[in-house]
Amino acid sequence: MKSINILILLLLLGSFQYTFSQEEEEEEDYSSYGAVDDTPIKRYAKPTISGMSPQKFISLGFDAQMPYKYQFSDVRFPQTNPESGFDVEEENPNINETGRADFTGGLRIGTNIPIISKSSFVWQSGINFMDTRYNISESLNSPRTPVVLPDGTQARSLGRILNEDGLRNLNWTNTFFFPLSEKNFVVFQSQMDLSGNYDFGDFQPLNTVRYSAAAVYGKRVNDYYRWGIGVARTYRVGNLNYVPVIMYDWTSKNRKWGTEILFPARAYVRYNVNKNSLFLTGFDLEGQSYRISDYSFDGNSFEIRRGEVRPKIEFQTRLHGYFWLSLQAGYRWDWSYDADQLDGNTDFFRGFFGDQQFAMVNSLDNPLFFNVSINFVSP
Amino acid sequence: MRNTIYVIAFCLFTYIGFAQDADAIVGVWEPSNGKVYVKIDKIDDKYYGKIVWLREPNDPETGKPKTDVNNPDESMKDVPLKGYRMLKDFVYKGDGEWEDGTIYDPQNGTTYDCVINLKDENTMDIRGYVGVKTFGRTDTWKRLEKKKK
Repeated sequence: MKSINILILLLLLGSFQYTFSQEEEEEEDYSSYGAVDDTPIKRYAKPTISGMSPQKFISLGFDAQMPYKYQFSDVRFPQTNPESGFDVEEENPNINETGRADFTGGLRIGTNIPIISKSSFVWQSGINFMDTRYNISESLNSPRTPVVLPDGTQARSLGRILNEDGLRNLNWTNTFFFPLSEKNFVVFQSQMDLSGNYDFGDFQPLNTVRYSAAAVYGKRVNDYYRWGIGVARTYRVGNLNYVPVIMYDWTSKNRKWGTEILFPARAYVRYNVNKNSLFLTGFDLEGQSYRISDYSFDGNSFEIRRGEVRPKIEFQTRLHGYFWLSLQAGYRWDWSYDADQLDGNTDFFRGFFGDQQFAMVNSLDNPLFFNVSINFVSP
Repeated sequence: MRNTIYVIAFCLFTYIGFAQDADAIVGVWEPSNGKVYVKIDKIDDKYYGKIVWLREPNDPETGKPKTDVNNPDESMKDVPLKGYRMLKDFVYKGDGEWEDGTIYDPQNGTTYDCVINLKDENTMDIRGYVGVKTFGRTDTWKRLEKKKK
């Protein structure tokens, strides 16, 4: 009997202690808490703001342009015209090839893998592959004159090269995000591109890898707004260029509207339908310098300076879990499809105002394009 | 008989040691952004963490206590953030690592898979990820204690 009384007493004490600890927790003033080791805690800016479109870790997509007409000039080599250089009349080039591209597009694979991802530093790295296949119908009298190399041999016309080989771009991008404080950050990005009419059984020389880089200093004002300015060495306009970069990401307080701008690479207005779907409208600037192996000889590289602006509307929606679908439709506006011969594979800077002559001056009509992709994302 | 006692004693001490290691994350912690304090408790054999303090407790527009407005579940949008259980279901796996848990980010209303690594008794790395640990981000949390006023 005595032991039962003791047991009941213990249970009552236990119950009282539990109730007391609950009340103590509710009344606890946690604002008086501080770090155990008294070392100041370093705060870091987050690499995103609220409401932005999901970050794509892995992307598998297909891009297609509607039919359009093209005009390609003579292919000129200064070796055959030592007195006058390339001698291509840029304003009114001598058209040698005309035709219609019934299909332009292909597979696009993108990756952006976190190598180191901490609040104090983020390094993401990704291999990207973009295949552009052409289905070309050359006009009856095209080419008007065959393409003759300086050594006298005859080469395929550019239309035929595109039709038979297409163009490929293999890219390795590394992005480094350094938060300097809770508000300020710096982003570095480096890219290596191997672009041309190669295939994987007949790779082009690795000294034709083209390097791009960008550096942006930014300020994350709050969870809904950040801006940044910087500079980039880029091939997005086809040939090598140095351009200022402007970052402007903003989300409205109700999270419905926003902007995602990294000018000149891309600029979007965003509308979040709900947590699982959103619209983006704006433009992308795409480009690379594609080596045409048939016209590259004596250690020189003959490269198509392909640059295009893509005004578009994009719809993204969650399929399941972390898999999202992206649908894009827009207009592919030809910025540049001209060509340069690079002496000894070494690129040069023309910029927007340079007067170096092109080896080809080409023009493409501007068709609609569509793009669909499945993406593994971080929401 | 003596051997049996030794085995039982060994198992008991091992279990107690394991349990003490497992409880090493119990306490109050501050994420690197300093916006909240999170109190980690043990409930049954699992570990849970709830928000016990917010640097900005009230919505600046309404003046009322912040709620989980970004939760995709409509019924949860009015739940106060203070007291919200943002860490769930962690199980101690040994070697200072707690796994099988989730972390909820109230800023975007997303729940991520999560693993906790105790670096030392006052510092832990907490990694939220999607699918596999590679696709994630690690944040370092500091242990807090009550300071004398």
